Amino acid sequence: MTVEQDCVALDQFPVGMRVLAVDDDQTCLRILESLLHRCQYHVTTTNQAQKALELLRENKNKFDLVISDVDMPDMDGFKLLELVGLEMDLPVIMLSAHSDPKYVMKGVTHGACDYLLKPVRIEELKNIWQHVVRSRFDKNRGSNNGDKKDGSGNNEGVANSDPNNGRANRKRKDQYNEDEDEERDDNDDPSSQKKPRVVWTVELHKKFVAAVNQLGFEKAMPKKILDLMNVEKLTRENVASHLQKFRLYLKRISGNQQAIMANSDLHFLQMSNGLDGFHHRPIPVGSGQFHGGAAAAGMRPFSPNGILGRLNTPSGIGGVRNNLSSPSSGMFLQNPTDLGKFHHVSSLPLNHIDGGNILQGLPMPLEFDQLQTNNNKSIIAGNSMAFPSFPTQQSSLPNNNNHLVLEGHPQASPSAFPGHQINKRLEHWSNAVSSSSSTLPPAQNSNSIIIGHQFDVSPLPHSKPDSLEWNTQNASSSYSIPFFYYDSSQMRQSGNYGPTTDAMLSSNPKEGFIVGQQKLQSGFMGAEAGSLDDIVNSTMKQEQSQGDLSEGDLGYGGFSSLRTCL
Amino acid sequence: MELAQMQKSLQDYTKSLFLEGVLDSQFLQLQQLQDESNPDFVSQVVTLFFQDSDRILNDLSLSLDQQVVDFKKVDPHVHQLKGSSSSIGAQRVKNACVVFRSFCEQQNVEACHRCLQQVKQEYYLVKNRLETLFKLEQQIVASGGMIPAMELGF
Repeated sequence: MTVEQDCVALDQFPVGMRVLAVDDDQTCLRILESLLHRCQYHVTTTNQAQKALELLRENKNKFDLVISDVDMPDMDGFKLLELVGLEMDLPVIMLSAHSDPKYVMKGVTHGACDYLLKPVRIEELKNIWQHVVRSRFDKNRGSNNGDKKDGSGNNEGVANSDPNNGRANRKRKDQYNEDEDEERDDNDDPSSQKKPRVVWTVELHKKFVAAVNQLGFEKAMPKKILDLMNVEKLTRENVASHLQKFRLYLKRISGNQQAIMANSDLHFLQMSNGLDGFHHRPIPVGSGQFHGGAAAAGMRPFSPNGILGRLNTPSGIGGVRNNLSSPSSGMFLQNPTDLGKFHHVSSLPLNHIDGGNILQGLPMPLEFDQLQTNNNKSIIAGNSMAFPSFPTQQSSLPNNNNHLVLEGHPQASPSAFPGHQINKRLEHWSNAVSSSSSTLPPAQNSNSIIIGHQFDVSPLPHSKPDSLEWNTQNASSSYSIPFFYYDSSQMRQSGNYGPTTDAMLSSNPKEGFIVGQQKLQSGFMGAEAGSLDDIVNSTMKQEQSQGDLSEGDLGYGGFSSLRTCL
Repeated sequence: MELAQMQKSLQDYTKSLFLEGVLDSQFLQLQQLQDESNPDFVSQVVTLFFQDSDRILNDLSLSLDQQVVDFKKVDPHVHQLKGSSSSIGAQRVKNACVVFRSFCEQQNVEACHRCLQQVKQEYYLVKNRLETLFKLEQQIVASGGMIPAMELGF
């Protein structure tokens, strides 16, 4: 959808909300279709789960919500639920004649937003739009103050007709505006739309990060960054929009997931000591070690002690950066529990992470836009489990200057669903990455997409670049996933990807990127917090909502949405 | 028969179905979904229901007639029938399915046979009644009248 279309749709929301209904029983399907029409939703039906997946994969932006029966002959409804959540990050409502609580529980743990019993009544359907709004709102909220300003581009912007979100968006916009001068020029400048897109390669991004680190995250201004980077043909606008995205991403990460990203050379988070002992040392871009194959804790520059990873060690939090005094990361110390959950959630080698920091070595999140950071640049990605405590922590965390505490565990949601999502995503991503060389392949098929793919492909492989508002507007800035790729390749080597489902990988090439990321993320969670990778991953996950994510948030969104659904 | 009379007959008839428990409020919801943009909705859905159910009942008969009954196959059928019958408001069919399922769980072949009979009986009953209902409706429409909206106060 174009921005305009999205805006229009938003205005009338929930009227016109696009629902995909799946049920093998044609009687029920027909009734459901009618009921949904009566609610003024736009309905597409299919009686096959496979077909539903195809439709969804074809265009992630095409639907806002999926309603699916549980018992279907060609695929278990729960499986479909998982796949949809992982790949598309859409809210899914389960439908069944089984009133047995254990089915309901299963639905919830697989990430369903709601579970309806047959026969479905229209009253129940009249309110299902809340799930769409909620998931978007949560995603937005995740990005906190840093929102993308570009108009409706973001997940928030698009399809978000919720008044709260609108206000939040405006608020964020204002904040952002205050923070950055150059912000919108990409969006606003019509000429920028015609500029050739800049592909942010790993190398380029490294330079960018190095420049930012050098200048200080808070103080980094596009012009200075540009000067430091000293790259020909890169314009200040390119840098500005890239910076914006980066900040948004970070912001979003901190907001949504309290995962601590492992450091990586791309990691430009800096943490101050004050907060909770998370200290991020900017990692020189050159180091380029994403913590190696996640599994290999070795990569981590930080001592494992502080790993927020919570997965394995309570001290995971501290592990983010050397200085982390793990205990201080009390907030994240839910780890033990979280770990349990985490494990449950994802089959990724969370456990094996030394530091428990899944995010370790996660490739840089593609979604820079996520990285928006407000004044308070600390992004604390807490362990999902830690989530409850997270908020408190978070408030303490944000310290004065760009402290990005990225917790490696983007999967805040205790349900298995997110975990799987993460895992699959990461796997996908890493697979995609590994399959493609580290160069930027021009083609956009599955693996190559990751590399050369423009960032504008929002977290999930969007087939439509224009779905990302900011993308279109920021013609000059396209972030390619490459840097993620970089990480993933490293990560990949570690081979500790959780369940790699080839199916997943191939399903959506674009996703691959995200998938990979997420996977990595979960895999390395806890190893070290704060890497950009983590941020990216978490961002990606969260951002993987249909359509809205397009902004390029990777994964991060999806994750949050997962949480929502739970 | 006069139009008004036909309409009254239809209403009474429909009411009786509710009173007997053959149909429940879900059927009313279906009727409410029918409108100008969707004029034959109820009959379409009910027709689909008949098609599905005929098939399911057939499959059930076959399954239960096997030497060794595979309840893993039987149960999903019954479950589906339960789902669709409840969706259209065929209350008695649905209730019979519920009983049927519990015997499936117990793997009681004989009881299941009886249940199947019961389900079939209820199904044919509702099928018959609904077909009559539709005929009445058609007559009214053919006479140029409108189908009266169902009153809920009974």
